[in-house]
Amino acid sequence: MSEKVEKWYPGEGKLTTGRAILYVILVLGLISAVIRLFFGLGSTTNLSDAYPWGLWISFDILSGVALAGGGFTMAAAIYIFNLKKFEPLLRPAKFSAFIGYLVFVIGLFFDLGQPWRIWHPMVMWNPQSVLFEVSWCVMLYTTVLGVDIFIMALERWKKYDLVAFFRNIYLVLVVAGVMLSTLHQSSLGALYLLMPEKMSDLWASQAIGPLFFCSAVIGGMGVVTLESFISSWAYKRKPELKLLSSLGKGLGIVLLVYFAMKVTDLYARGATVWTLDKAHFFFYLELFGTVALPAILLTFSEVRNSIKGLYWAAGLSAFGVVLNRFNVSLTSYGGYRDFSYFPSAIEIIITLALIAGGILIFDWGTRYLPVYHSELSGKTS
Amino acid sequence: MSKAMLIDTTRCIGCRGCQVACKSWHNLPGERTTFSETWSNPRYMNSNNYTRIIFREVAQPEGKLNWHFIKRQCMHCLDPACESVCPVGALIKLKDGPVVYDDYRCIGCRYCMMACPFQVPKFEWGKAVPLIRKCDFCADRIEIGLAPSCSTTCPSQALVFGDRGALLKEAHRRIGAHPGKYYPEVYGEKIVGGTAQLYLTPVSFEVLELDHRGFRTDLGNVPYGIYGREWMSKVPWVALGVGGLAVGLHYINQRRAEVQDQKSQEGKED
Repeated sequence: MSEKVEKWYPGEGKLTTGRAILYVILVLGLISAVIRLFFGLGSTTNLSDAYPWGLWISFDILSGVALAGGGFTMAAAIYIFNLKKFEPLLRPAKFSAFIGYLVFVIGLFFDLGQPWRIWHPMVMWNPQSVLFEVSWCVMLYTTVLGVDIFIMALERWKKYDLVAFFRNIYLVLVVAGVMLSTLHQSSLGALYLLMPEKMSDLWASQAIGPLFFCSAVIGGMGVVTLESFISSWAYKRKPELKLLSSLGKGLGIVLLVYFAMKVTDLYARGATVWTLDKAHFFFYLELFGTVALPAILLTFSEVRNSIKGLYWAAGLSAFGVVLNRFNVSLTSYGGYRDFSYFPSAIEIIITLALIAGGILIFDWGTRYLPVYHSELSGKTS
Repeated sequence: MSKAMLIDTTRCIGCRGCQVACKSWHNLPGERTTFSETWSNPRYMNSNNYTRIIFREVAQPEGKLNWHFIKRQCMHCLDPACESVCPVGALIKLKDGPVVYDDYRCIGCRYCMMACPFQVPKFEWGKAVPLIRKCDFCADRIEIGLAPSCSTTCPSQALVFGDRGALLKEAHRRIGAHPGKYYPEVYGEKIVGGTAQLYLTPVSFEVLELDHRGFRTDLGNVPYGIYGREWMSKVPWVALGVGGLAVGLHYINQRRAEVQDQKSQEGKED
């Protein structure tokens, strides 16, 4: 085990195999991005009039935002529910959330037909549009997260009086962050309220907003757990197992709530649940494999108190959130019946490059910013 | 009064003159087409084809084939889903009836394509800087008192342009006057809150199998924009609620922790 770690991370800052692979993907992505900008969406993606939204919407935007839900979830747990013991997990959660949103905005930039008009919703308003609200919330929330990261940078630059100022108004940032997240996490689901006729019965729900919100909390907690394990492995730190198993308990509860919400919703709408086709296969995988299974796993204290058990439970739940977003936006979407969609190489490379870029920024950030520990002695936030 | 078009498919002769007139007025390039299993040509609406005639052959029980020609284009809903979803307000319903698109506002998010219940807006996939394209009801012609180019060119008066109220009255008059000739419902009168395109057909849209060709019959009579507007009307309250709850819970929980701390300290002192 230690040998493996040595091989991947012989020293911080040096170009290691892991980083080298990430850089190669990133460069391939940059080339693809340039090709996409010069040749347009039609010739570089497999999107069409039948499938106007594809991989980038499903993964970069819907899944990315849900997985970045850890920032507001942890902030709410610590500052609003006063669960101070989770404080060691807050900074990495906020930092990965910020990177998630940064990556999301870059992904959106390449998905838009007119990328340089990305600022238009700021001045051209349509208050009856859910997407208008989402774009405003995302802009403001990314700003909130940016201020948060800026405070970390201020700590590094030892501007303590400024840090103290931000600490004083910190509750404002937390409340704004929680409020904006609640709104846009659920509104991303509400985008699909307007197209029930194009969606499978399994996902076309009037309750899709609350369902998206709940699963974003799951995605956030799952990613915080995974991120904690992976970075403790990569940076050779001891994982905070006690904290994480406590978080795992919470994750199990949220999964149960989400499962109950899903089942109630399906029952209330009278959706045909028991059939066998492609959509139902993905539906069963989502509901039983990635919601019910980790929820059951997390009821066992043996699972909650082992790294491997938590790793699997958190991994399954996070994967389940991604699967749900793909199901809602692609599996469920009927479009034209005689067309199908599978992403092009350029779509896939750009998405992979966004992930690689996110990891590299995180890696860079943990070395230059006080992500894992406050530089102010005794105080962490 | 909002303008509309009465499309009497029993009068259509399938000449596709409307397709040509549309291309002429909007200066759209022609398309090299190929033979296929259908007479409809081109096969799909796209950013260069704002309208097309769908050719349907329906077999009678006695074996005779009946031809039906149904024109497809933007329905110009009275309360359009595209207008309600566009985050930058690039799609607007004009007072005269047309639903028009502003090239200079659009960011290219394609939500209108996803939300349109008739799958009308199309994207310029062939261009590096693409925009949305769709039938605009010849808004520029309507503005100066002309009829849309398709209805102007129609040789058999299958496309009649006029005030929506008057055309609806005329549609129902025709249904009443020729009971066997028409299906007794006007497609577009009520669907998704009403559209500016009013269709008279000899049989229902389901029999014509049009419900999978852009003319769904399961859409209901409620405009789709309502779902988004209902959601948006709750947003300010959710924001206030969550914000208030967050601040309140923060202070309550903090106070509770303080009290607990004090109690445990007092316990130690005793």
